[in-house]
Amino acid sequence: MYAFTHHAATSVADAVSSVGEGKFLAGGHTLIPTMKQRLAMPGHLVDLNKVAELKGISDNGSVLTVKAMSRHAEVADSDVVTKAIPGLAALAGGIGDPQVRHRGTIGGSIANNDPVADYPAGCLALGATIVTNKRRVAADDFFQGLFTTALEDGELITAVEFPHADKFAYVKFRNPASLYALVGVAVARRGSDVRVAVTGAGSDGVFRWKEAEAALAGNFSAGALDGLKVSAAGLNGDIHGSAEYRAHLIGVMAKRAVAAA
Amino acid sequence: MSSRLGIPIDNVSIVHGDTDKVQMGMGTYGSRSGAVGMAAISKALDKIEAKAKKVAAHVLEASEGDIEFKDGKFTVKGTDKAADFGSIALQAYIAHKFNGQELEPGLKESAFWDPTNFTFPAGVHICELEIDPATGVVTIDRWTAVDDFGNVINPLIVEGQVHGGIAQGVGQALLEGAVYDAEGQLITASYMDYTMPRAQDLPSYNVGMTVTACPSNPLGIKGCGEAGAIASPPAVINAITNALGHENITMPATSEKVWRAVQSSAHKQAAE
Ligand SMILES: Cc1cc2nc3c(=O)[nH]c(=O)nc-3n(C[C@H](O)[C@H](O)[C@H](O)COP(=O)(O)OP(=O)(O)OC[C@H]3O[C@@H](n4cnc5c(N)ncnc54)[C@H](O)[C@@H]3O)c2cc1C
Repeated sequence: MYAFTHHAATSVADAVSSVGEGKFLAGGHTLIPTMKQRLAMPGHLVDLNKVAELKGISDNGSVLTVKAMSRHAEVADSDVVTKAIPGLAALAGGIGDPQVRHRGTIGGSIANNDPVADYPAGCLALGATIVTNKRRVAADDFFQGLFTTALEDGELITAVEFPHADKFAYVKFRNPASLYALVGVAVARRGSDVRVAVTGAGSDGVFRWKEAEAALAGNFSAGALDGLKVSAAGLNGDIHGSAEYRAHLIGVMAKRAVAAA
Repeated sequence: MSSRLGIPIDNVSIVHGDTDKVQMGMGTYGSRSGAVGMAAISKALDKIEAKAKKVAAHVLEASEGDIEFKDGKFTVKGTDKAADFGSIALQAYIAHKFNGQELEPGLKESAFWDPTNFTFPAGVHICELEIDPATGVVTIDRWTAVDDFGNVINPLIVEGQVHGGIAQGVGQALLEGAVYDAEGQLITASYMDYTMPRAQDLPSYNVGMTVTACPSNPLGIKGCGEAGAIASPPAVINAITNALGHENITMPATSEKVWRAVQSSAHKQAAE
């Protein structure tokens, strides 16, 4: 590791005013390995771990609010989340392994927008709102491609708001080596409004599968997806799965998510 | 050594992997460490016993031919005179009870052993698995293995070697593979890309043994190190080809390969 300065922020205001050209440090499970490999070399880190304002999970009966520094394990084990949107607790409980779940945070995960991460699919399908120190951004506008988000330099995610859904489930096919999502599909339904979000497969990151949404809007059942095909164009292919295989898996995972929702 | 000399196992020190201490060895290949190395130890123990009997003959004031050695005790045939292995070993070194010019003091021997034949362990491994036709994911449900390793010295270690060998073979059959791109760059350079078998990829094994003593070494033992790794890839692949109804599959049978193979499976077509 190279030399850098570290500031343990005590509040959102302190974090934002002290970050400068540096980076926020949440769980560090993405940032620290990247720094070790010199893929990123921030000279200054603002540590969010002591910021009480960024912790906590609450629900007002129609919207679930998960503060940015909530660990994946906290979301997975939260009674509030399990009551409001059980499929979101299951999504968080399926991220990585126990070590990752006890360090990694929702804020870090979505700020990073890894194309194979799980939360982006959950946020997009549920139509979440990403709350920052400056503004509120709809998930549809927030995720902008590989490792790219609407966040400006020095902008801090403070919370993610998830409006309740009638049904929600996330099902993934794991990359056998990394155990990240090779393909993950999240499905949410509110009345006749259905949203389907796909992670892992898109060469431009998480995306919505509009044809499936239309098919499910009239008939929310796995059978409604029969015969719907995803084009392999624009999908990732690697040693663990060609674009064609991923395209096929999107259909299979979507059906399973609908059945599980 | 402990049971042969009747001494506590704590009194036995094992020195291995040290070329400064071990004169000559050719490696552990061919699962030969036990069958060849242990036989050499057994031959050295024969020499130790023969020498210790000479010492015991002096200590117990009897003729060498009347000394018997059993359960760690030297006795004189037809009498109640006895001495344990430890006291005879001590007498061998201090040489107070015999003439050091006539019988060389000490109790230190070595032996070389060249086996009269290979050892032929045999076994049957049965792999039962399921294929998810929609994804090509292979799930191993049950594993039953029976091997014959001749006389088994340490059953716990032998069973562990079988377990580890099966895991390695399952990895080879389903998951592992070093992949290079067109420029010669290794793509599977970390465990984020190279798929090692993990506990979740493996069932709980049901492992058993039969014992047929091996005739080509004095201990009747056979090689066991490679049995699991050799038996498991064909067991897994045979189970897959049996499920598919055809043999068009190569290792590693990744889920994508299996999924593609399912498309041309007569069983699938029959089901549709
Ligand atoms: C072995 C392993 C397996 C994993 N498996 C999975 C998996 O299966 N699925 C999955 O989804 N993820 C997986 N992850 C990723 C894990 O969830 C990460 O922890 C997460 O993506 C990043 O969160 P973090 O809290 O560790 O962020 P950090 O590493 O601390 O930060 C990541 C980035 O986000 C920025 N950032 C952090 N917090 C904020 C904030 N509040 N506002 C603005 N920017 C912020 C940082 O500056 C940095 O650029 C895995 C990680 C590892 C190491």
